[in-house]
Amino acid sequence: MDSVLHCNGLRKAFGDLQAVADVSFEIAPGETYGLLGPNGAGKTTSISMIAGLLAPDAGEITVLGTRMTPRALTAKAAVGLVPQDLAIYPDLTGRENLQFFGRLQGMSSRDVQTRTDEVLEVIGLSDRADDRAGEFSGGMKRRLNIGIGLLHHPKLLILDEPTVGVDPQSRNAILESVESLATEGLAVLYTTHYMEEAERLCDRIAIVDQGQVVAEGTRRELIDLIAEQDLVRLKVTGDVHAAAAACADLPAVSSADAEEDEVVCLLDGAAGNLPALLGAAGSVGATVVGVTVREPDLEDVFLHLTGRALRD
Amino acid sequence: MLRAASHILVKDTRLRLRDRSVWLFAFVVPLGLTFLFSSIFPDTDTIELTAGVVDLDGGEVAAGFVEGVVPALVDAEVVTAVSFAGESEARAGVADGAVDAAWVLPEGFSEAVLAGGDAQIEVLVSAGSSLPGELARGVAQAYARRLEQVGLALTAEGALTGGPPSPELVEAVGGAAADAEDLIRLSTRTSQVGEPLDPLSYLAAGMAAFFVFFVVPYGITGLLEERQLGTMPRLLAAPIPPGAIQLSKLLGAFLLGITSMTVLSVASHLLLGAEWGPPVGVAILIVALVLAAMGVMSLVAVFAHTAEQAGNYQAVVAIVLGLSGGVFFPIPGDAAVLRLVTSLSPHGWFLRGMNGLAASDRWTAVLPAAGAILLFGAVTAVPALVLQRRRSTW
Repeated sequence: MDSVLHCNGLRKAFGDLQAVADVSFEIAPGETYGLLGPNGAGKTTSISMIAGLLAPDAGEITVLGTRMTPRALTAKAAVGLVPQDLAIYPDLTGRENLQFFGRLQGMSSRDVQTRTDEVLEVIGLSDRADDRAGEFSGGMKRRLNIGIGLLHHPKLLILDEPTVGVDPQSRNAILESVESLATEGLAVLYTTHYMEEAERLCDRIAIVDQGQVVAEGTRRELIDLIAEQDLVRLKVTGDVHAAAAACADLPAVSSADAEEDEVVCLLDGAAGNLPALLGAAGSVGATVVGVTVREPDLEDVFLHLTGRALRD
Repeated sequence: MLRAASHILVKDTRLRLRDRSVWLFAFVVPLGLTFLFSSIFPDTDTIELTAGVVDLDGGEVAAGFVEGVVPALVDAEVVTAVSFAGESEARAGVADGAVDAAWVLPEGFSEAVLAGGDAQIEVLVSAGSSLPGELARGVAQAYARRLEQVGLALTAEGALTGGPPSPELVEAVGGAAADAEDLIRLSTRTSQVGEPLDPLSYLAAGMAAFFVFFVVPYGITGLLEERQLGTMPRLLAAPIPPGAIQLSKLLGAFLLGITSMTVLSVASHLLLGAEWGPPVGVAILIVALVLAAMGVMSLVAVFAHTAEQAGNYQAVVAIVLGLSGGVFFPIPGDAAVLRLVTSLSPHGWFLRGMNGLAASDRWTAVLPAAGAILLFGAVTAVPALVLQRRRSTW
């Protein structure tokens, strides 16, 4: 299976800041690939290079076998970009926005007309097509933002945190749209710092931290990295950090981190080791007031791999 | 590249059409101000002086003024002369506004002049005729200066001969004093502002030049606006040459500037009667000024981070350059320092070019000014381009 997108060893620095240190992955047709990481992890910089906005300092990007650079017009024509910030003209109507970007993509006038109507239907804005985009609600603007990226039938759709600042209803509509796009054979690169979005949408996920891919795989594969273990959350009063340190010293515990008023522990065999955990917390003067045991999720994987929470 | 640039240009034009502020700066305000200022400031080219003259002296020197100077001014269509029998009649005519002013040559005037004594021409001015009154005073003062020279000649001759002046000398100096040619020049100078371009046309050209520096930035700051709107990444991700985006913005600025100045020149001619001179020369000056505005404003925009910030910087620069270029008031030709200041502004060179055009009526007269204006454009555009390239692309 030929990949739609292939990234190998991407690096990009801005002065002393190494925004992207080593990013490599590929996306197959019809696959939705997620870049999951906190703000500042290097997701948007990676996307900027993949979309041809920035030239990487090192590494290579190919789209459908064509090398992507800021001047690679053929490669760019295969990509639809939906930037994180709204990229629409508020003083143009929804239809005019679509038509303008369609023309920039080199589409014929007839294709622009036809495709504009189709996309307006897909994003549910047909009845507001001739209203100025500035008068749209936040969710409608987001949908228009996505529609522009879809207009020219790209082979690769890049969605950079498309649900940031969106109400739950519009968010759900956007996620449903992305799911349906993938079933139509479109390769989707989706960045988010929302674990649940990555879990719902993405066939494969790369966990990105400090400009590097620290783990990659399907959701199951990533969770399997810590799957033999249980996740135990101890709600404590007292010194949470001291309690976390005491728990981390136990042989069965592979990681223990303080998170607000909780100690989050990954350990083998929660049932057999729970008394020891409670004892360790108590040994530093902390009182355990609640215990939760559950299967790990991507948030826990990220915490396990980086020692930090996704929302940090 | 041109195709992509034209798409962006069409989009920008559509946005501009919906943004009324650009039309205010481009057409409404400059035309309105030209109309307003031309109403406030009288057109001194059209000063009409109706003046009476009263000769209570009847001597040789007074005759030089009454029979030499005044008829010459009438012939030159500077003055409409009215004769009064006596001073009281003249005073009444001035008081009721029948004439703007009256010259009264008192009894003993000629004798006093020939004796080298104190001789005066009294100028009566109507209360409502300040500018024509100034013209009347100017004529009298010029004649008085000439008489002073005559007096000096007579005094010198008296000192040499020890007797009264000879009749030949009196006749010769009287004729010289009555020579009205320089008085007509004085009147003509008084009725002009100091430059060949008439005040209304000067004002119209000045306003157009002033406001084009407010209009051109609408295109120049387009890149900053795209960044601010968040649309720049999408433009850069489109399969178009990156240079097409910049080209579209520059084309937009150029066309906006040219359209503004062309419409203003035509409208001020048709509506207000401004005379811009030979179209080829005007076109050269307009193109040069628009290019200079693009260069200057591009350089200013490089130092701004947002379109609003750029707009503020550009407004300050436009005002300073406009005022120093003398767009509101003509700079007197003999004010050397002010002339130097205007040389530091493209506006000043533009108006200098317009004056040259009006004086010679040949389009080639604008070439030195156009060259100087283009120099402003080049000197500012080159660093602007270099600095722009150093900045990140989005």
